[in-house]
Amino acid sequence: MADEELTDPKLYLEETCKPKCVKPFWEYQACIKRIKGDESGQKHCTGQYFDYLKCVDECVALKLFDKLK
Amino acid sequence: MHRNMRNSFRWQEKPRMCYQPSDDLFYWKIHTKTPSFFSTLKQDAAAGSSSMMSLRALALIGASISGILSFGTITSADEAEHGLPAPNYPWPHKGILSSYDHASIRRGHQVYQQVCASCHSMSLVSYRDLVGVAYTEEETKAMAAEIEVVDGPNDEGEMFTRPGKLSDRFPQPYPNEQAARFVNGGAYPPDLSLITKARHNGQNYVFALLTGYRDPPAGVAIRDGLHYNPYFPGGAIAMPQMLIDGAVEYEDGTPATESQMGKDVVTFLSWAAEPEMEERKLMGFKWIFVLSLALLQAAYYRRLKWSVFKSRKLVVDAVN
Repeated sequence: MADEELTDPKLYLEETCKPKCVKPFWEYQACIKRIKGDESGQKHCTGQYFDYLKCVDECVALKLFDKLK
Repeated sequence: MHRNMRNSFRWQEKPRMCYQPSDDLFYWKIHTKTPSFFSTLKQDAAAGSSSMMSLRALALIGASISGILSFGTITSADEAEHGLPAPNYPWPHKGILSSYDHASIRRGHQVYQQVCASCHSMSLVSYRDLVGVAYTEEETKAMAAEIEVVDGPNDEGEMFTRPGKLSDRFPQPYPNEQAARFVNGGAYPPDLSLITKARHNGQNYVFALLTGYRDPPAGVAIRDGLHYNPYFPGGAIAMPQMLIDGAVEYEDGTPATESQMGKDVVTFLSWAAEPEMEERKLMGFKWIFVLSLALLQAAYYRRLKWSVFKSRKLVVDAVN
């Protein structure tokens, strides 16, 4: 039977991949700081966010399917 | 005698002074009257007009550089518009001779039926397609019998409902697109029969989309009723996250985590879009092998027949 506590391996792998993607993560944090006081609503950090997610995704994709049935 | 005959066949404009190797072969190739850009370069080089050649070469290089540079501006376009590209996952059925994981197709069908079928139709798939792929015939018949299908008209001219059979298509959640849009806030949940073929990099895209719900980045606000998904073009998708840990209890006891359900449902959808994949790969491997052997045989035979011409010698008997 399925165990009560289901832990998604993807979340676990994303945590382990975060240290490998520190540079885009800090770029994203820097962007957040830059646009903090913005009132116009035109500024956003999608680019830096995507760069960070791309790095994490590539790292996770290599190992995820090994953990799934 | 051969040379006199040759001139009558030639369509070239310029008179040629010397013997050309192509004369020997009875080419019926028509020489075009407007030579290509590269041949004009070569002709200029041959004629010794270096200034014309360098001007043409310069023009070619300049045009290619400006063409390449203009592509640079595209990358600065709005990335959210295209959606984050999905990573490439190592699907078990990806290899040149790899088949589907049929246990995964079975689990994926269960996920579709319990999670997705309430909004998404799969109107091109019939129950009989599942037989031998994911379920036995008895299991599929029992599954089909659980649904009600409108049939008719009967002898009295009336439509009637009956339990489903193997030949029936998967049931549709809505009678038409307008009803689907009305219930889902204007958004139409697309039919999933061909979805992995209907989206660029479909299998990876669907998996990334289903498991990729996240918080929006700083500065991005999503209106009520929509949800943020970086893989969806534009970022704002009407579908909420549907794959949640434990949403389904698998028959075979596999832990139903979000990524497990995502993998299984995408395998099921890949099969639904390309049920012929296994047969196609077998056939492709077989025929590429056979045609390669045929190519070797044909090449040998061609060279055998042409050896007569290729080893021919001509004597030029000219008096100057």
